[in-house]
Amino acid sequence: MYKAIVIGGSAGSFQVVTKILSALPKDLNVPVLLSLHRLKHVRSGFLEALMLKSNIPIIEPDDKEQIKPGRAYLAPANYHMYIELGNRIALSTEEPVNHSRPSIDLSFVTAAQAYRDKLIGIILSGANSDGSYGLQKVKEYNGLTIVQDPRECQVRTMSEAAMKLTQVDHVYTTDQIINFLLKLK
Amino acid sequence: MPEIGIVETRNIINVINQKYNYDFSDYALTSLKRRIEKIIEQNNLKYPDILINRLTDEPQFIHPFIDQLTTGSTEMFRDPSLWRLLREEILPTLQNETGKDLKIWLPFSVSGDELFSLAIMLHEMNLLDKASILVSALSETSIETMKSGIMLNSKEEISCDNYVRANGKLALPKYYTLTDGRITRDISLIKNVRFTKQNIETEPVPQNIKLVLFRNKMIYFNTTLQNRILKTIYNTMVPNGILAIGTKESISTLYGNNNFIRISKTESIYKRK
Repeated sequence: MYKAIVIGGSAGSFQVVTKILSALPKDLNVPVLLSLHRLKHVRSGFLEALMLKSNIPIIEPDDKEQIKPGRAYLAPANYHMYIELGNRIALSTEEPVNHSRPSIDLSFVTAAQAYRDKLIGIILSGANSDGSYGLQKVKEYNGLTIVQDPRECQVRTMSEAAMKLTQVDHVYTTDQIINFLLKLK
Repeated sequence: MPEIGIVETRNIINVINQKYNYDFSDYALTSLKRRIEKIIEQNNLKYPDILINRLTDEPQFIHPFIDQLTTGSTEMFRDPSLWRLLREEILPTLQNETGKDLKIWLPFSVSGDELFSLAIMLHEMNLLDKASILVSALSETSIETMKSGIMLNSKEEISCDNYVRANGKLALPKYYTLTDGRITRDISLIKNVRFTKQNIETEPVPQNIKLVLFRNKMIYFNTTLQNRILKTIYNTMVPNGILAIGTKESISTLYGNNNFIRISKTESIYKRK
């Protein structure tokens, strides 16, 4: 019933994302959109590191790339990643939001507008509040909202900021997130 | 931030098309909608209707409006490896293949970041006086901004870092001054640059261009408009001329596929056939 999963993370989220990607089934029937804070000037390496253990293909999409199920799309360095009409990725070099490009908020807001109640938004560990506004929008559009349990987060600021702004549907540990996603099939 | 719908976005597109002849109907909708929301917020207009009234009643407002609508804010020397490649390989080869004169075009310019980066690089290569640089922009406001040399302070740190990574010869602050908290770039760098306010789809475009810097502009277009603009750009260029687009922009499925050869995958640099 869901059409997409969008995940936002910053400091301390890398291992969590890796673990989730390694647990997802190869025949996953939705796309996974990854908006993760990363160094602006380092364009390569991050994708490769994520791919090492991932069970599904990960793509750093080109602009206007068609979004397909069973794949993860990683926001490229120094670009915002939007969900465009027609189920495509749109990239942007507009000004950083809260010092971040990619901005988790912008990926979440545009995903919420595109997928509405068919979207799962997940906020992971991080040292700032990017993503909390975006998760609020996911909720507003009746999507499902999940945050990583702050007690498990390496840095809990991002989870807590999201929980402060939104009555989230689930507060889950990494394993619980994985179990939940596996049951979606 | 206010949130506007697709219908309201299309209404605004219609107004500026009918009244001012700016056609944004083939722009990518998500980013366009977001920038309209931002303009509504920044100008304290509250509702799309108020923006439409202002656009209708106040013709002068169209210039800053178009400027803000097309701002694809980046930074100076974005992708330092591209600037290194341009300086060390692309430009010398280009001059070998097509002669010493260097006609360069920057279509859809807004902030001047790309322009000043280019001017500084050419200056450090002792090529600035030999080059003829043409800048096209959609709005008067954008041209005034570029001519003034003003740069947003928020871009300073990353621009300085980029310049170092691009192997700049001096230090970037040599090329700007900081007065009353405002950064102004050295406008003697652009004294020979020719600025034109133009819609390149409907007005005459330059000819015999050897280098086109067109990075991260197509991302704001839909694929239909991307194709049309690429064709226009192709027709302005000399054979073996160079086109640089954004690292995550692609022309492989577009008009460009048959008409350009990719010569750097990592930096998205193409040679015109």
